[in-house]
Amino acid sequence: MIVIAQIIIIASALALLFYGLSGRRSHFGRAWKKIGLLLLAIAMIIAVIFPNTTNRLAHLVGIGRGADLLLYMLTLAFITYVLNSYLQQQDAKDELCRLARRVALIDATDRYRLRRK
Amino acid sequence: MRKFKEGKLNPAVAIIIPVYNEGSVIGDVVRSVLQEFQHVICVNDGSSDNSSEEITQAGAYLVEHPINMGQGAALQTGIEFARLIPGVKYFVTFDADGQHRTKDVHVMLQEISTGEYDIVLGSRFLGETTGLTKAKYLLLKLAIKFSNVTSGLKLTDTHNGLRVFNRHVAETMQITLPDMAHASEILELIADKKYRYKEVPVTIKYTEYSRAKGQSIVNAINIGFDMLLRKIVK
Repeated sequence: MIVIAQIIIIASALALLFYGLSGRRSHFGRAWKKIGLLLLAIAMIIAVIFPNTTNRLAHLVGIGRGADLLLYMLTLAFITYVLNSYLQQQDAKDELCRLARRVALIDATDRYRLRRK
Repeated sequence: MRKFKEGKLNPAVAIIIPVYNEGSVIGDVVRSVLQEFQHVICVNDGSSDNSSEEITQAGAYLVEHPINMGQGAALQTGIEFARLIPGVKYFVTFDADGQHRTKDVHVMLQEISTGEYDIVLGSRFLGETTGLTKAKYLLLKLAIKFSNVTSGLKLTDTHNGLRVFNRHVAETMQITLPDMAHASEILELIADKKYRYKEVPVTIKYTEYSRAKGQSIVNAINIGFDMLLRKIVK
């Protein structure tokens, strides 16, 4: 029973990671991330007011302590965040590249009097 | 089959050389290539040394990146510039450090001028290679395995800077990976766009200089990571 719960947790963590990364350009993907962030904040508030809820939730899915459950969720959020900003950085670099290439080509074609397409 | 006579200046060929801080060697490399080919395009990728003066003095076309963007980006810029030179039909990518021989370019041009292939790739493992260290050899073999698996091609050398391709490839290939990962990306593009390809043995001369300039072994991890991440999330 616990093993099944663990498998489900790991699988859903990977799925969340995948969707978190692949939907980074769509409105849908970005909206989901904001909702997730909001839910995380609400969950944190609930956990502060009712300290036992995280423990109970953890036991329900076969995790020892509520603190561990939070740690896992935080780790997942962190990995998603790091990879997301890495990908965003790559996208920005790509755009910068195109711009700089355009500048380089305009300059060079002017110097050698070539016709730009 | 049309013959390319050695030493004849061929106006249909553009040699594209990405340059980054190669001031000490680029002048000689350009001068020797210019003896055999008319159109030599150097893309200076934001060098901080005297590369651009050396290139202009040697008499090549100079395209200047305003910032450093990596070898893949420089190649793409060079290809786009070469497309604008009237009469250019064949595009050659050539390394700036003098490790390639123009003799091999002529052989590759003969292959592509038959019209049977879209792109002809140089392979140092079909040919003769001098001065390669053991660690580098092992790394290259690993990289070849990796690239063949990810691209689905069957090649003996996947990270060779010497390539010859026709206008169709020059107009449809879009290199987006700016860094050294472009070698793997080009292979993916070959598989993706179904270019007809062939490998030709070439001789690479590894000098003390080219060894020092070459990729570090650790960078293979960076390339592998980027390629995999791109595969997982498009």
